[in-house]
Amino acid sequence: MSVVVIGLSHRSAPVELRERFAFAGEKIPGALAALRASGLASECAILSTCNRVEIYAVTPLTAAAAFAELKKFLIAHQAYDGALGDELYSFAEPHSLHHLFKVASGLDSMVIGETEIFGQLKSAYELALAHQHTGARLNKAFQRAFNVAKHLRTATNIQRGSVSVMSAAVELAEKIFTALSEHEVLVIGAGETSEKTARALQSRGVKKITVTNRSPERAAALATELGGRAVPFEHWPDEFERIDIAISSTAAPQPILDRATLEPLMKRRKHRPLLLIDIAVPRDIDPAVSTLDNVYLYNVDDLQSIADDYLNLRKEEVARCEKIIAEKVAALLSANKFSRNAERTQD
Amino acid sequence: MAWFTDRHCFLLAVTFYGLSTLYSVFLWRKGFRRDEWVNYFLLAAGVALHTLAMFKRGLTLHSCPINNLYEATTFLLWTLGLACLIYSLLPRFKFLAAFTAPVLFTIGIFALMPSLDPPHGLKPEFSDALRSLHAATILQAYGAFGLAAVAAAMFLMQQHDLKLHKLRALLSLLPSMQRLELITFRLVAVGFVLLTIGLVAGWQLPRPEGKPYFFDTKVLWSALLWFIYLESLVAYKKFGRTSRRFAIGIIATFIFLLLTFWITNLYSGLHN
Repeated sequence: MSVVVIGLSHRSAPVELRERFAFAGEKIPGALAALRASGLASECAILSTCNRVEIYAVTPLTAAAAFAELKKFLIAHQAYDGALGDELYSFAEPHSLHHLFKVASGLDSMVIGETEIFGQLKSAYELALAHQHTGARLNKAFQRAFNVAKHLRTATNIQRGSVSVMSAAVELAEKIFTALSEHEVLVIGAGETSEKTARALQSRGVKKITVTNRSPERAAALATELGGRAVPFEHWPDEFERIDIAISSTAAPQPILDRATLEPLMKRRKHRPLLLIDIAVPRDIDPAVSTLDNVYLYNVDDLQSIADDYLNLRKEEVARCEKIIAEKVAALLSANKFSRNAERTQD
Repeated sequence: MAWFTDRHCFLLAVTFYGLSTLYSVFLWRKGFRRDEWVNYFLLAAGVALHTLAMFKRGLTLHSCPINNLYEATTFLLWTLGLACLIYSLLPRFKFLAAFTAPVLFTIGIFALMPSLDPPHGLKPEFSDALRSLHAATILQAYGAFGLAAVAAAMFLMQQHDLKLHKLRALLSLLPSMQRLELITFRLVAVGFVLLTIGLVAGWQLPRPEGKPYFFDTKVLWSALLWFIYLESLVAYKKFGRTSRRFAIGIIATFIFLLLTFWITNLYSGLHN
């Protein structure tokens, strides 16, 4: 009896193929029951997300036989009739455990170190557990995988930092202001990116949002969606006395805010710190404003550069994480408890 | 153990400050990324030994040990070290120790110069409660100003990194700019109140015939500091002085304080 995994992910298959093999949440218990009824697996769990579909199984068959049978099961169950090359990957112990630990830690994710997969894997495991499709072996493997993921999160920089423009903007705001809930945000231009950035700030505590746009209707609509208020476009400079963060993304061909305009506004603000996030192209804010004291200006390239740097930092950590994972897998297997305990429980 | 005097104890404390300074260099190079306690405990060991040194000296004198330049300097450093340990317990303020340790180490080395600690007998003349209050509050005020300068230095470093879009600003586990600014202001305000109390207490002290209080070098110097800190607080709070200028002013004033503290003492009729 050993743990095997078969599946396809963003690394091996395009989205068109992944969606053909994806399992709807409510169909998973049925698929697990069918898999066990076939005698292919004594324990099993299915992970199905937008980036991967994987079957984890404890099988009495040899690895080669198990892979062939699991592939047939997957194709038949999902009624797939197309051609299939090497999009499907399969691992036997110890590589299957290594893969499981990597997936749990976000090392195999599209955005390295992302944490969403941890929750998705946990849900997949809990679903299998709730329907009694797991046993001692899979329980131990999954629980150890969750522990390893938590350990890597604290012991390495694999999940450190923001890897998207929006989250980089939020992190910047948190480096300047102590409590975001006490600060007001002005959204200049009701574009999609500024809306996402405003929402990201809201998720970290921002309560007051003011929206302005050349089209008052769009400003009002976005303000309603964000639970804020709309102000006429010609009046946005008046808001600078109250706000502390401004997100600008208008389609203006020239900068709408320059040093000469901002300097007197900063005096009226009594030089309170001001974070300006300019995500417009061409830029809305003249770079010269950053020479003013207490003004922090970041444009879309700056934010992207932060996100890229973080991603590189995470990539540098991958080797360290792989080493830790290898040690943890070896510890799990070499103690021999993994196999013996599992088999004893099965008896 | 009779040979082990309070000065040996202080020497050991300075050694720990030195170790903490060395470790701080490592933390600076790493960009303050890891939340850890090593530097805090090194500094805590230094402060503990420092406390023991002052306690031993106090026991010998049967009074608060602030009677010559060595004692005054060690008291100032002790206040700074202790305040740093307390403030370091605030969320994200653990790295305060990395900024404070170099100050404690360099001034600690200076304080160890034998000429700063002339023998003054077992019972110094100036050992009554009011004099102790005067000296202790003023030195505590300097400690608060010192810690304010440290927080201001952290603020300027963060501001520089954020302005220049350095990733280090985001990676470091330093407090937010706003928090550093607030802590700096509060420490200066506390120091100012203590300095005021100390100066008023000094005014009440009996003086030798013909020596007016406000014509003494040290008193004039202290009054100058009092005005500088008052101006900084008022300009920052009431007249919109930028946080950067406020921080630079606080650091510059503390450097001035450190550089002139000993000289003005030497030229002071009331303090010699």
